[in-house]
Amino acid sequence: MLAAVLSIGGIGLVAAAALGLAAKKFAVEVDPRELAILEALPGANCGACGYPGCAGYAKAVAEGTISPNLCTPGGADTVEAIAKIMGIEAITAEPQVAVVLCQGDNRKATQKYRYLGLTDCNAAQKIADGPKTCPGGCLGMGSCQRACPFGAIEMTPEGLAVISREKCTGCTKCVAVCPRQVIKMTPLEAVTHVLCNSHDKGAAVRKYCQVGCIACQICKKTAPEAYMIEDFLARVEYPQHAQAVAAVEKCPTKCIRDFSSGYPEGSSFAPPTVPVAKDNAA
Amino acid sequence: MVELLVILISAVFVNNFVLARFLGICPFLGVSKKVETAIGMGMAVIFVLTVASVVTWFIQYLVLIPFGIEYLQTIAFILVIASLVQLVEMVIQKTSPVLYQSLGIFLPLITTNCAVLGVAVLNIQKSYSFIESVVFSLGAGLGFTLAMVLFAGLRERLELCPVPQSFRGTAIALVTAGLLSLAFMGFAGLVKG
Amino acid sequence: MNLKTFAGGLHPPDNKKWSADKPIELCPLPEELIIPAAQHIGAPAEICVAVGDTVKKGQMIAQAKGFVSVPIHASTSGEVIAIEPRLHPMGRPLPAVVIKPDGQDQWDDSLKPNDPEQLDSETLKSLIRDAGIVGMGGATFPTHVKLSPPEGKTIDTLILNGVECEPYLTADHRLMLEQSERLIDGIRILRKILGVKDTIIGIEANKPDAIEHLNKECAPHQIQIQPLKVQYPQGAEKQLIDACTSRQVPSGGLPMDCGVVVQNVGTCAAISDAVRLGRPLVERVATVTGPGIKEPKNLLVAVGTPLQHLVDQCGGLNGEPAKIIMGGPMMGQAQLSLEVPAIRGTSGLLIFREPDLQVRPAGPCIRCGRCVSVCPIHLQPTTIAAYARLDLIDEAEHYNALDCIECGCCTYICPAALPLVQSIRHAKGGIMAKRRKL
Repeated sequence: MLAAVLSIGGIGLVAAAALGLAAKKFAVEVDPRELAILEALPGANCGACGYPGCAGYAKAVAEGTISPNLCTPGGADTVEAIAKIMGIEAITAEPQVAVVLCQGDNRKATQKYRYLGLTDCNAAQKIADGPKTCPGGCLGMGSCQRACPFGAIEMTPEGLAVISREKCTGCTKCVAVCPRQVIKMTPLEAVTHVLCNSHDKGAAVRKYCQVGCIACQICKKTAPEAYMIEDFLARVEYPQHAQAVAAVEKCPTKCIRDFSSGYPEGSSFAPPTVPVAKDNAA
Repeated sequence: MVELLVILISAVFVNNFVLARFLGICPFLGVSKKVETAIGMGMAVIFVLTVASVVTWFIQYLVLIPFGIEYLQTIAFILVIASLVQLVEMVIQKTSPVLYQSLGIFLPLITTNCAVLGVAVLNIQKSYSFIESVVFSLGAGLGFTLAMVLFAGLRERLELCPVPQSFRGTAIALVTAGLLSLAFMGFAGLVKG
Repeated sequence: MNLKTFAGGLHPPDNKKWSADKPIELCPLPEELIIPAAQHIGAPAEICVAVGDTVKKGQMIAQAKGFVSVPIHASTSGEVIAIEPRLHPMGRPLPAVVIKPDGQDQWDDSLKPNDPEQLDSETLKSLIRDAGIVGMGGATFPTHVKLSPPEGKTIDTLILNGVECEPYLTADHRLMLEQSERLIDGIRILRKILGVKDTIIGIEANKPDAIEHLNKECAPHQIQIQPLKVQYPQGAEKQLIDACTSRQVPSGGLPMDCGVVVQNVGTCAAISDAVRLGRPLVERVATVTGPGIKEPKNLLVAVGTPLQHLVDQCGGLNGEPAKIIMGGPMMGQAQLSLEVPAIRGTSGLLIFREPDLQVRPAGPCIRCGRCVSVCPIHLQPTTIAAYARLDLIDEAEHYNALDCIECGCCTYICPAALPLVQSIRHAKGGIMAKRRKL
């Protein structure tokens, strides 16, 4: 009995001594706050903050020079948690979601040539500026869907990209990859948008798309503060988004959409009820 | 001399610890996504295996058997292995933080790697002399590393292939591991034992 | 014949019989000429005429911008009726000068003939530049830049590219048969500029009449005719140099790095006109062919002639066109419509109808390795394309994506109909974009 206790105890003591020495020799300084911040982050490593992964951002925040609200996917809760760890004020930016400003899928918009190549929007755009006749419309090949780290983007069966307002965390990766800049960041609370990205004159737009904006100005006449027409394209003035919904019925091409009544045709997403207050969206 | 060579070849190829004895599957599947990480893990395991073998051999023949406490073999061996792994963790964290990050949870899990305890116990079961047990554990470590690096190379290639939806991820990895194991069966009969 | 060749490549059916024996025919001027300012590699030229101006044939209508650029000239005499964006062979509207021919076809008086024997190398090069000479094999690289190797690069061999390896095209073949005097004159001018003695004209063995003819004509001029095995892409610079001289252009390097300059035979003939007659490059031979054309021909085309006009000269369309290609079927560029103009680099026009195409949906890569065995640069197209599809640009660069000459052998041979060249181009674009950011 004694031998057993002594031997195991002996081995344990020797090991402990060796480890104690090693701990001193191979000590690595780690800020405990950095670990706590890393815990609080969503862990998606999406890069929206501009740092290499969540570990990179945690390190930068722990060093004390960077604002805690650069993590858009984390949302307000993450910002508050980080602020608490660092002992500073939490200032959250207004939550934003990405919207594809186009409804011209294969049934509604024409193509200028038959494209037989790599199913990638950037590759297709390099060939005669893309197969879609409309110069600003969604090409529908799914580069944004592949770029989204949160699975928030779907391609409808007729070739249109649609972004879920509930799943989108505002990381902006889709905006960066789209060759036509048809995806824009918009405030989460604004549910009404003009879903068109073509600055061509109305007559030209009519020729290549059934649901394009023809800049007829009816929306502006119905709700003057909520709309701005620039270069033959209407846009919602987002601070006044609440008034914009009045023009949805009046639009002759039906290019203005109120997302609270549903997503564009072909989408499988259920209509969002009200702008969703986000917890950790990852 | 020849016996030592036979032990080595047997441990690396014929009775490969991962592909033939089916030990150490956890890091084999968990750390084989990239060849660099696989090599890093392999080096760590070779180190732990060899040193653990040496230390446990001495403990068995100098402490456990003389005092008649062979029944404490498992606890004593685990104690040694755990301390060694802790040491390796500290060294890697200091010398290569990148490798430390990419190995993640699998580094401390070397403690529970059944291949490590398996080698230590097998040395005793087979009554190997000191030299023989060193060669055996070195071979086990090399065989483990070989299997992991081969598998990592295959998995890197698989990343480029359009794998059917139902097979993506772990499924196709396990199928590949099975095929690799089948391939290593070709070494059967090369040496006896 | 002692046939030389290079490793790799393949041999698609050459389909040259439709136009190989058709002598060059002058294509009459169309109703309007659309002359784009961007017709060459390098900065597009800057338009320097105004709407309403009267221009003469050969008059400069756009100035060169920078060193790697050449001026653009009016292809005939007439009036500038518009300066506006017009559909360009690149697939989008780009600035162009639209000229209505006056029917006189009068050359500009300021163009003077010269005696190349009396001129030095620098003057000859600036005559070539002012004449707007660019590579007429299709690459349209400004010739004066090619003839100006930087300090330290010595040139000892001049190779003329009479290979015309692209299927269907026969323009260079007819030029070698019918206008060998211009070609030989151009060679002598080039030899003077570069200071070389060794001259080789590379010709593929499917043009035995041209080989025989040039053997006779070139004998007194110490120009060697090298017959080459019929293998695509024998006409690519690196492959041609390898076959004719057994020298390898280093990865990322240029022909001048192994002491060679290569020029297309058409460019060479144009150099003769530019120096001896003082005439800029305003017309070129193009092969109009394909199953979609009633009467395939080799036409002498004025730069700026709309493709529809070329089709009309060849008996019109033989059914509904499904694919319009400017250039050859391997490396040419598909066009959106026949209203696009022929430019300096237009070596051919091919029309195909729907049943002529073999459109198959792309399938998964089966790793058969055929693309690897045909690649003339010894790359691994399947691996580069796999990384390109996943946007893994660094790995694609590691597999030497930038060395790809985009010849199309891999795409042609792929049993899964994968768009390999497009994927490799995608990788190249990603690599260059990354380098610009750094």
